[in-house]
Amino acid sequence: MSTSIIKDTHATDSHAHHEHHEPSFLFKYVFSTDHKMISKQFLITGIIMGCFGMGMSLLFRLQLAWPDQAFPILETLLGKWGKDGKIDPNFYMALVTIHGTIMVFYVLTAGLSGTFSNLLIPLQVGARDMASPFMNMLSYWFFFLSSCVLMSSFFAETGPASSGWTVYPPLSALSKAMPGSGLGTTLWLVAIILFIVSALLGGINYITTVLNMRTKGMTMNRLPLTIWAFLLTAILGLLSFPVLLGAGLLLIFDRSFGTSFYLSDIHLNGVGALTNSGGSPVLYQHLFWFLGHPEVYIILMPALGISSEVISTNARKPIFGYTAMVISLIGISFLSFIVWGHHMFITGMNPFLGTMFMYVTLIIAVPSAVKTFNYLATLWRGNIRFTPAMMFAIGLVSFFITGGLTGIYLGNAALDIQMHDSYFVVAHFHLVMGSAAIFGMFAGIYHWFPKMFGKMMNKTLGNLHFWLTFISAYLVFFPMHFMGLAGVPRRYYQFSLIPEFEIWMNVNIFITISAFLGGIAQLLFLYNFFNSIFRGEKATQNPWLSNTLEWSTQVKHIHGNWDGDIPAVYRGPHEYSRPDRELDYFPQHEIGDGEPEHYHAPSTQVDTVFEGKKEKASAVFFSSFAALFMKKA
Amino acid sequence: MRQLKHRPTKQVQVRMKPFLKFTFKLTLALVILTGAAFFMSKSIDIKGISTEQLSASKPFFGADEYAYEAPKADTAESAISSKVNWAILGFTILMVLVLANAFDISKYTAKITGRETVNQNNVNKWTMLIFMVVGLIATIWEYSAHGKLILLNDSASAHGVDYDSMFTMTLIVTSIVFFATQFLLFWFSFKYAHKDGQKALYLAHNNRLEVFWTIIPAIVLTLLVLRGHQTWRSVVYAEENHNGKIHNIEIFAYQFGWKARYAGDDGIMGIADYKFISGKNELGLAFKPEVDSLIVELKAQIEGEKIVINDIKSGAALAALKSSFAEVENLRDYKNMESIQKEIESLNNGEKLDEAEASIKRKTKQIERILAIQNNSKQFASTFNGAANDDVITQEIHIAIDTLVTFNFRSKDIIHSAWLPHMRAQMNVVPGMPTKFTFRPTKTSVEAKKEFGETFEYYLYCNKICGVSHYNMKIKVVVESQAEVDAWLATQQPAFIKKPIVVPAIMNNSDTMMQADKTKKLAIN
Repeated sequence: MSTSIIKDTHATDSHAHHEHHEPSFLFKYVFSTDHKMISKQFLITGIIMGCFGMGMSLLFRLQLAWPDQAFPILETLLGKWGKDGKIDPNFYMALVTIHGTIMVFYVLTAGLSGTFSNLLIPLQVGARDMASPFMNMLSYWFFFLSSCVLMSSFFAETGPASSGWTVYPPLSALSKAMPGSGLGTTLWLVAIILFIVSALLGGINYITTVLNMRTKGMTMNRLPLTIWAFLLTAILGLLSFPVLLGAGLLLIFDRSFGTSFYLSDIHLNGVGALTNSGGSPVLYQHLFWFLGHPEVYIILMPALGISSEVISTNARKPIFGYTAMVISLIGISFLSFIVWGHHMFITGMNPFLGTMFMYVTLIIAVPSAVKTFNYLATLWRGNIRFTPAMMFAIGLVSFFITGGLTGIYLGNAALDIQMHDSYFVVAHFHLVMGSAAIFGMFAGIYHWFPKMFGKMMNKTLGNLHFWLTFISAYLVFFPMHFMGLAGVPRRYYQFSLIPEFEIWMNVNIFITISAFLGGIAQLLFLYNFFNSIFRGEKATQNPWLSNTLEWSTQVKHIHGNWDGDIPAVYRGPHEYSRPDRELDYFPQHEIGDGEPEHYHAPSTQVDTVFEGKKEKASAVFFSSFAALFMKKA
Repeated sequence: MRQLKHRPTKQVQVRMKPFLKFTFKLTLALVILTGAAFFMSKSIDIKGISTEQLSASKPFFGADEYAYEAPKADTAESAISSKVNWAILGFTILMVLVLANAFDISKYTAKITGRETVNQNNVNKWTMLIFMVVGLIATIWEYSAHGKLILLNDSASAHGVDYDSMFTMTLIVTSIVFFATQFLLFWFSFKYAHKDGQKALYLAHNNRLEVFWTIIPAIVLTLLVLRGHQTWRSVVYAEENHNGKIHNIEIFAYQFGWKARYAGDDGIMGIADYKFISGKNELGLAFKPEVDSLIVELKAQIEGEKIVINDIKSGAALAALKSSFAEVENLRDYKNMESIQKEIESLNNGEKLDEAEASIKRKTKQIERILAIQNNSKQFASTFNGAANDDVITQEIHIAIDTLVTFNFRSKDIIHSAWLPHMRAQMNVVPGMPTKFTFRPTKTSVEAKKEFGETFEYYLYCNKICGVSHYNMKIKVVVESQAEVDAWLATQQPAFIKKPIVVPAIMNNSDTMMQADKTKKLAIN
């Protein structure tokens, strides 16, 4: 490793250093370059966005369950979009679109990967901070800006983007095709571009940190599976997000500068024949799904990494087949780049391509199956502690099985002819990447809350939160499989106009009630989360008796993580219940009997604490940057 | 073993402070709850406040035509239900807070007594087991209750039978895996829950086991893939693999509806082009007189736009708007005031001017392109070959049973998706890219009615988000005998001329639209 080049200035005079440069409130909590603070920022922003996303889903569930019922409260809440207490069809589309966007990008990408990559990468590999803390700060603030831009589209007169979270042109490219394709879509695109900038800044940082800043003894095969997952996620993001950036830019060109990348042969109501010619809407779909499919794994893999860690710790067993788990993750990452076409089997793409995409798609099921069986084998003959984190991790495995199995239907081109864009798809991805990933996020929050805030969350509330969420998620999404198989299309504003779908009315009501149950469960979580931050029980240093390095830091956060040398690592992260030890855990940094003691070299990190002056200069630079983008939006 | 306990047990010692704190919190919450309930019972009728401002908002472009008319709720009734809604919302939030506080009981009792009263690990362990049993029973119930409603083994097309058997095969495989793995997951959770003095088995890996569960899924998936490959190819290459007659029907999609086009008496589908679309020529057929009158119409529109531009530039438009604004202002007609205000705005910020100029540009280009076709003798001959003149445009799709039917899809504006769930057929409709789907219907509408009920009809739904009326974009599909289809077609009027203008020389050389499409599609792919 690069140990020899990097000199530590931190360890020698760390105390004096800190007291001297205790940052002001602004730089401690707002423009912080400390990875722990940035991870909290990501988490809380993610939770807030999650509340919006969840709220939107409840609104449109209300519409689907009682299409003919007026809810005057909607008019109060939504104004012209909820006229006479009914959700406007255009606004319904907007809700569906923004719900998808928020959940996919803002909650499950930034909120999940952003939070835990930031928190855990430096702590678990043994680094004082990220490789580029300033870039890390920028990553958060671009994300924040992006969230603001996205939410601001609700105040556009024509409403937010409403052509689905995939914003397929020509619908999204022509402002006369639907109101949401006006200013709303412009804001959506700007928000997504800012988001991509954020994801790339973060991703480069994660990769660099994992590869270069591991502490002594932390070889790649001693990395916790969380870190493997974050590393591969970051690589996926780095390689695929730029393609979405390209797709978005071309769409902006088509929308604003009269180019015809995606447009051809269009005659629009009230406008007439457009001059665009020669473009292909399918091109956008190729570009979009080239990100879109890896994106699914960008969402899911951190959750799988977290659950591996949580399950191993709480089953008090080494994760079964560490190498197989890593190889599966690598396999999934590689395959995720060559399967995007399974979203497009029936777009009129050459049928031959369909067969190729079908082959590679179904191959993904093999590493996924290996992962599932390895989880089961880890639980087998364990000594399971049901912490809320553990239960959410078990819930994740359950969803991963249920949702993953339906993927075998949808990845099959022949079956996809019928199931494409039906409720079956909705059920599939909400279980396998929605619920599973959000459960991974909850598992992470419950597990690392003591590390983040130095407090414990209430366990009883955590249990209650888990059971309510778990049950309601199944109640919401399981019946949807059958709706889809009965031929119910997704993204329909109401089903009461089509007699064939009337038999599903009761099921729709049932799903909505279950969704509200799930929503209430999240209120419990919110209460528990914020209450525990301020009034929770004080955490001990290693509350879960875990092996990994992050628990060797002190409870109170300090800049630089370790007060003194960074500990060296002597073994893998999952050495639980070793027969040769009395204790059922064996921290990575603890020297075992008869093991050679590493030479404690001055630890490997650069001192990343910025000087006061530098911080101010950077803040000025950043805010001018922000102002630039605000104007554009 | 000492380290396994999370929390060191304290001495049992009753402490009053947390108990008082808890009582205080609970009382506070109850007081708030009662207060809120009281307030709600007296709450104001929120409907009255906002209606006036809200009704002033203008409909969006294009919304007039498809505007959704909500049934007006009775005022008294809605006032009550508004209160009820508020009450429900408020109560939900407050109940959660109370509940959250109440569940802190365990925390406080733990504090008071100094030890955990309930062994949560055991509670969760048993709940896992209960969830497994109830969940698996519920799943089986779902399979039988809702599983009856799914479209399976009732396919109305030939390839659908193949599809259904493949679906069943996948269903069996995945169901076995589902039940087995879910059972193991929860059973292990229950069985191996923490017990005092128990130590987990140290088992880091077992290569033989891992190879086993890599190879088994791989084999099963290979079988599924091969089956899928076969079915997929038989569906998508149905047209290529068939030698006999294929009935071609054009399915035309637009915001928000479908139209079908039949070849007419000459049996040849004429050329159609989005550039030819006009009010009378909805599908843009290559019918010379109609295209000529479109050019005239476009030219007139361009002149109109020029007048608009002149008005804007001279300031006449602004003056006119201002005077009409003053008029409605006197009448306190807020709705019109707002809409005129918006028009003035769009005039001032140059939007209107840009729009008019863009419209001129668009229309000039359209004329240019139409003329380019007309002036190119070869292209003219193949386009205006008269084949389109007798084409029949219909509001329903009638197809004959046991014949191979190809739907050739064309979109007017944006991407739609044609889905015939009962035929197991779906294909996207993409502007600028012809797509098609070939299938063989095997069950007439009459037979289907016997199976699904008297009111049943086959419908082709739109299944790709396409705008405000996406949820109601469908067209009726009738499957009947060939003779009935012919009889029905005979009653349909051709779009323009009843008798085709026969120009034999051109006819022989002409490409049909289908062939043109095929080459274009190949080029795209």
